[in-house]
Amino acid sequence: MAPTDRLNPPGPRKFLSDSLAVLEIHALPMIRQWYLIVLGTLVFPIPMFYVFQSIAPDDAAVWQRLLAGTLIFGVSFSTAMLVGQQIVAQRFMGHLKLVITMPVSKAAYVVGTLAYTAISGTLSAVFLLGFAFIAGVEISPTWTLAPALLLTVLALAGIVLFVMSFAPSLPVGNVIASLIAIVLVIISPVYFTMESAPLLLRWFGYISPLRYAADAIAASLGGRADVWLELGILAAYALIAMGLGLWRLPWREK
Amino acid sequence: MSVSDRPPPVEVRNLNKQYKDGPHANQEISLTLNWGEALGVLGPNGAGKTTLVRQITTELLPTSGDVRVVGIDAVANPDDAKARIGVVPQEARLFQGLSVYRHLRIFGVLRGLSRRDARERADELIEELDLTAHRDFNSERLSGGLRRRLLVGIAMLAQPDVLILDEPTVGLDVESRQRLWVVLQSYRQRDAAVLLTTHYMEEAETLCDRIGIIQDGRLISLDTITNLRASIGHEYKLVYETPEGPQTLFGDDHLALAAQLRSQGIDEYAVMRTSLEDVYLALTQQSRNESGTDGAD
Repeated sequence: MAPTDRLNPPGPRKFLSDSLAVLEIHALPMIRQWYLIVLGTLVFPIPMFYVFQSIAPDDAAVWQRLLAGTLIFGVSFSTAMLVGQQIVAQRFMGHLKLVITMPVSKAAYVVGTLAYTAISGTLSAVFLLGFAFIAGVEISPTWTLAPALLLTVLALAGIVLFVMSFAPSLPVGNVIASLIAIVLVIISPVYFTMESAPLLLRWFGYISPLRYAADAIAASLGGRADVWLELGILAAYALIAMGLGLWRLPWREK
Repeated sequence: MSVSDRPPPVEVRNLNKQYKDGPHANQEISLTLNWGEALGVLGPNGAGKTTLVRQITTELLPTSGDVRVVGIDAVANPDDAKARIGVVPQEARLFQGLSVYRHLRIFGVLRGLSRRDARERADELIEELDLTAHRDFNSERLSGGLRRRLLVGIAMLAQPDVLILDEPTVGLDVESRQRLWVVLQSYRQRDAAVLLTTHYMEEAETLCDRIGIIQDGRLISLDTITNLRASIGHEYKLVYETPEGPQTLFGDDHLALAAQLRSQGIDEYAVMRTSLEDVYLALTQQSRNESGTDGAD
């Protein structure tokens, strides 16, 4: 009855086409609501930049660090909001059920979701880098800026996936999605260096992926490319967080 | 492989589901769905119908027992089994911001069709399901009936061997329900098998060849509607009015029943064949009496 011989068998090709289809599911509705990405990116991070700039010394390195913090805030906020709210809505409103009934692997769903996150994170970063010129921040970015931003997005998306798996309901999940990035940015030394951070934040800074992201991005904006350690730690965070997120994502109920 | 050599579309053997700290939702359920057959599963709310469906569609792991879909072990190889099943889950929702066409095209790819085949199949289904006028409508603009039709279309994308529908017409108006029945009847004619759960007796009578009745997690009956009628022992019923309200008299010989009423001075009555609803009520009551439960749900 079924033309099963014409169906893509499970394998790398099916995995890739499934991931792209999931990316479409996430991205197509957002094309019409592009302004949400812009607003999510700009509405909090830019005022924060000006608040910190007004009390910061007029120093290029300090301003680059502020810009790094702003980039992380914007990218993290849009990632957490878009991914967190979509995942939690799809889980609790029955959309995910429709995907689960398809011959699609959980990993393909996660990869498609992360691809969407990476694209929206890149858009956020481009907006904010454009803002750097308007704000008069002198930057000389190196190629390491791109992997640093990408790994920041992936690490945070993994954390969001993992944390969201514990959400007991849609309203709680939405609150967590709204708060997770703000809380992480506020308690991590992203707008200032570890050395100038208060003791409590310094302790958190040792384990926060956003602090390593800020170190890597600030260095990359200042023309340096020697950020291998930070990129390595971010990559480890991204892998572990995505692995945990993948493991926890409900796909087949026991 | 000839038709007779094909393994059955769905074969369930001794299926049990015991939720952790919860009810024994399915107990020793065994059933076989045949090619070209539509099997309806009836039962009160919370009886275990959706649990059964979710185990067959691989969403839920059974505690014990076998589920085979076209011979594939659905517990061990869920993705292979899912490739042969089209599912309309009870609580599935369409994606906001995606049109009818895009739903069908994207889910066609997820079902395993190539991008080109998915586009062609989406267009075919839009015509087949009479959704042409709504092709570019986003899902949130569709009525309940159109949404259900689109969900059925998504299930039919790769022309699966088995369609499994969990209360597909719940909440739909009569016209939308009947349009969906036409779609399902036409799908069955392609030698596909259909398994559906429903609360609507009329739906089960219209669409299904056999009916399974689940109560308290057990399959208490599985047979054709004719045989189920026979199993409760009464093929006819006469409904008449008394000052206390409407009354029903069951029996196999409607002429004898009519004579009995006339002898009591009752000349106005309606003669009907025993309905599936009567059978359902009798069998579930009989099961409750045997198990000593009151059937509170």
